[in-house]
Amino acid sequence: MQQAQSLPQSAARPQVRRRLHLPRFTRRSTAVWLHEFLSWRRFYKSSVLLNFGEPVLNLIALGWGLGAYISQMGEVSFLQFIGPGLLAVTAMNSVTFDICYEGFDRLHRTGLYTAMTSTSMEVEEVVGGQMLWSMTRSVLYGSIFLFVLLLFGLIESAWSFGIIVTLMLNGALFSLAGLIVVSVAKNYEHLFYYFSLIITPMFMFSGVFFPVERLPVFLQWFIQALPLYHFVEMNRALVSGQVDASILGHVAIVLAMIMVLALFPARLLRKTLQRL
Amino acid sequence: MNPAVQAIGLTKRFGSFTAVAGIDFDVPAGICFGILGPNGAGKTTTIRMISCRFPPDGGSLHVLGMDVTTQAQAIKARLGLVPQENNLDEDLTLLENLELYGRYFGLEGREARRRALEYLDFMHLSNRAKDQVKALSGGMKRRAMIARAMINQPDLIILDEPTTGLDPQSRVLLWDRLRDLKGQGVTLLLTTHYMDEAQRLCDELVIMHEGQIIDRASPQQLVERHVGRWAAEIQLTEMVTVAALKNLLPTGLRHWEQTGSILHLYADDDELLVAALQRTQHSGYQIRPANLEDVFLVRTGREIDE
Ligand SMILES: Nc1ncnc2c1ncn2[C@@H]1O[C@H](COP(=O)(O)OP(=O)(O)OP(=O)(O)O)[C@@H](O)[C@H]1O
Ligand SMILES: [Mg+2]
Repeated sequence: MQQAQSLPQSAARPQVRRRLHLPRFTRRSTAVWLHEFLSWRRFYKSSVLLNFGEPVLNLIALGWGLGAYISQMGEVSFLQFIGPGLLAVTAMNSVTFDICYEGFDRLHRTGLYTAMTSTSMEVEEVVGGQMLWSMTRSVLYGSIFLFVLLLFGLIESAWSFGIIVTLMLNGALFSLAGLIVVSVAKNYEHLFYYFSLIITPMFMFSGVFFPVERLPVFLQWFIQALPLYHFVEMNRALVSGQVDASILGHVAIVLAMIMVLALFPARLLRKTLQRL
Repeated sequence: MNPAVQAIGLTKRFGSFTAVAGIDFDVPAGICFGILGPNGAGKTTTIRMISCRFPPDGGSLHVLGMDVTTQAQAIKARLGLVPQENNLDEDLTLLENLELYGRYFGLEGREARRRALEYLDFMHLSNRAKDQVKALSGGMKRRAMIARAMINQPDLIILDEPTTGLDPQSRVLLWDRLRDLKGQGVTLLLTTHYMDEAQRLCDELVIMHEGQIIDRASPQQLVERHVGRWAAEIQLTEMVTVAALKNLLPTGLRHWEQTGSILHLYADDDELLVAALQRTQHSGYQIRPANLEDVFLVRTGREIDE
């Protein structure tokens, strides 16, 4: 460490990065991505159906079913209101369940993370590779949903293309969160805690079904802390084309959350790998 | 030349339990080095420290001249590892598994594929390259693990029980391949429970027991040092008991050892054993050259019985 101070800046930087255990994106991380892709390719039919079928059913049931009673949400129809929100939920779930189940298996059952880190690959690169894959997945499943919204006639603006960016952020954020859970979980039950105590309530509270502004102020503050809320708001603005500077605020908050979450997975995963 | 592995006072604890208790050894480059020892002796734990899975709790450990606590990444780049448990991706094909593994080392795609094909061929698996791993037999998976461990063209290959569960043909094939690798200058470090394997493959051996190294030598030296050249096995019965035989045992025996219903006698001179056994007037015996198995029985046998 004393040495690092006397080195030029460029050489000192990796030292700092190493101490922070931030995810790294290298050629080796793309191999992790490739592994995920090859595994996905083998099962994509059932996986697409699952990740696609459920939200579409939700859209139909909630939008047309509930929508028959709640026809208007302010200026837009109920279906128009929940569509972009459900897109965010779909993307979140497609990443969360994948990283949690697959990650836990790789860590505890198949030993794949152990195999990967027996090579010259560092844990930070594994985390980076997993993030890349989750971002891919998020964009893939989110785009399919976007297409469904288009079929339902719910896309009103070319701003909707911006959703690709929110999907990438969504993939990054929820893969980091999922990897943290995977690293500390001792069994599948612990994964369910995460699903039912964090993911599902977030789905309920993040303004997918109702405008958050109607809630008491203290609840609004709480909801600000939920990442999904920001994705819902961004997607809604992009789909409707009512984009203003507030979207940058959401982006900033999500980026900050990603930065904070990025500090943990490699650290925790390395510790768990050593203890296996 | 630097030793491939050099351990001084190497220690590992799990909680209050000491799995590896301050062992010293070095593995000269270019040889096949074996670690023997009963279940729980600390072999796998030692190997995990060498392969930088976790750092030692005490002592120093250098692998290929580098310190495991500070240069783990550089060590792993030069190491091939065949762990005790297979960890191939069962859903992918053999070729995909090896190619990906090459990429984990930072190899470019084309080079990873070239080597994957070459080493699958080396391990006689070319015709199964496109099969999903889960469709392969246990022996094929084990061979695939070795092919995979070669992908980074390592200087040191570590094999934790490479042939456990293999049929005799697969074992012989595997031994041949390991000898080839040694011929290419690769240092081999292996653990095994098979004494014939150790005797055939290893230039040097250590015997571990309860976290300590209790012996070190070549296979032949170990046999001569501990049990002598000949062994007799006597089948015990209700009539022929150890107590009854004890009085008849000649002087000059190197050792005797009871394992279950078999009494082993060891001596440097086979005539001595023949004479002794004729005196017992019991026909359930056989005399054979002593081997490593006997060393193992004598050195760690009693504890296994417990
Ligand atoms: N992760 C761990 N946590 C706690 N104890 C452990 C752990 N790994 C190994 N041990 C203990 O350390 C001791 C040595 O285990 P190790 O796996 O090194 O034995 P081994 O010589 O490889 O045995 P085997 O021939 O059965 O493979 C055993 O008593 C084992 O229970
Ligand atoms: Mg073992």
